[in-house]
Amino acid sequence: MPGMEWVIGVVALVVVIASYVTWTAGRVDRLHLRAASAGRALDSQLVRRAAAAAVLAETELAGDPAGDDLYAAARAALDAREDDREASENDLTRMLRKQALDPQEPNGAAVIAASRRVALARQMHTDLVRAALGARERPLVRLLRLNRKHARPAYFDIDDPTLSAV
Amino acid sequence: MRIGIVCPYSLDVPGGVQFHVRDLAETLIAMGHEVSVLAPADDDQPLPPYVVAAGRAVPVPYNGSVARLNFGPISAARTRRWLHQGDFDVLHVHEPLTPSLSLLAVMSARGPVVATFHTAMTRSRALAAGAPVARVVLERITGRIAVSELARRVQVEHLDGGAVEIPNGVSVAHFADAEPLPGWPGECRPGYGGTVGFLGRFTEPRKGFDILVRALAEVMPQRPGMRLLLAGPGDLDEVDLPPVVAERTTFLGKVSEEDKARMLRSVDLYIAPNTGGESFGMILTEAMAAGAPVVATDLDAFRRVLDGGRAGALFPNGDAASLGEAVIDLLDDGERRRELAEHAERVVAAYDWPVVAARVLEVYNSAIEALGETVSQGEPPAQW
Repeated sequence: MPGMEWVIGVVALVVVIASYVTWTAGRVDRLHLRAASAGRALDSQLVRRAAAAAVLAETELAGDPAGDDLYAAARAALDAREDDREASENDLTRMLRKQALDPQEPNGAAVIAASRRVALARQMHTDLVRAALGARERPLVRLLRLNRKHARPAYFDIDDPTLSAV
Repeated sequence: MRIGIVCPYSLDVPGGVQFHVRDLAETLIAMGHEVSVLAPADDDQPLPPYVVAAGRAVPVPYNGSVARLNFGPISAARTRRWLHQGDFDVLHVHEPLTPSLSLLAVMSARGPVVATFHTAMTRSRALAAGAPVARVVLERITGRIAVSELARRVQVEHLDGGAVEIPNGVSVAHFADAEPLPGWPGECRPGYGGTVGFLGRFTEPRKGFDILVRALAEVMPQRPGMRLLLAGPGDLDEVDLPPVVAERTTFLGKVSEEDKARMLRSVDLYIAPNTGGESFGMILTEAMAAGAPVVATDLDAFRRVLDGGRAGALFPNGDAASLGEAVIDLLDDGERRRELAEHAERVVAAYDWPVVAARVLEVYNSAIEALGETVSQGEPPAQW
């Protein structure tokens, strides 16, 4: 039957396209979920860093005006609204950079380690957001609106929080 | 933590990546973690207890040299089985953009994957031809580690992403505790004696051995009893040594890991005259761990390891006369050599394997937290 090849061809084409669309939809979902999860991890590392900074301010720097400034910056970072969180975290980074942290002293070491963890969490978040945004921009994804379930992920744009006393 | 590590190259062939994987795995095990290493190897080959064989490696020309790799359906099946049985919290692959076990593992894994990039392969075929392929691989990697600033820059510029720089580790105790070779380094006092060392492929121009030879030809006649201790693969006949240098050279040939440490303990100065192509300078941290004061070319990578010149002397790239002066000055000045070695001992502590492994563990933990799941909890991989 001459029409048969056509039928088989069309069915095969539909199967290939459907598989590709399914795979792409899965990829878009996975990247968005991962970017959101990395955002929560970054948030918790930022909170830990601010807490470590507050402890340092209240112990090693107690009675020192620099300690009061550091404590205020840590509180501001913890209390910041979403729209000025980046600026508050950068303020805290600047405050921490002013301190000569001693890696041998436990509270100083905790701040140095927490800052490293913030840097790692931010880098992973940035990479995942970039991948998710890249997937959103693909023509097929836009055409079929495969991204409609997910809000557009945003970068968390802060200065490198790594402290030099490593 | 349960950690699965994938080494793309055969462990029976010596190489930087293989030593790195072995030392990292053994350090993590000593810290109390459960580690399984998947590597190309025959089933009947003797292997450390933590290594799982993935089958015979096939020699493939790659990136200008011959790499021994596993790739194909059988390797893929073995990799999937290893991943399934390993029940890992995190997967750590090395050089994931080479067609290798590492690439297979990334594509079949779920959950947090950490990747270490060793080489600064700016002109790799994988990057040139496969940017879309590379993107699919890279988006499955949660944490990227570069072993040098150069390798990190490749990540940022060519692969469109960040990477944390964690240097190659060195087993400081292995070098610091090695016994010097009998009769070395010998006498060294102002105007007399002194042993300088060089280790590596001395026939390869970018290692700069000819610069050292020119410097020695200049200074050895002024300094009776001064000697060169040379080790490395190659034939001494292939290099043209002036008679004064030839008669004062002791050539050890290719040395084992054990003898390498003993050799570095047997010199008054270690010389690294490389003219380029070094992205990290592993040999410098090894010499520093052995307590040998270092004189090195002022390459960026070397300057960084030598703490801007405070943990070792630097000389201008290719300048044999400056090298000769630096060598003579230092051989005359025991106090200065001690200062350099003492500062180097403090600097190299940051490269000691337990310290480096703790930094790698931070990346593992960050990757697990970022995805909120472990490898064994992850969603099943897409089949395609």
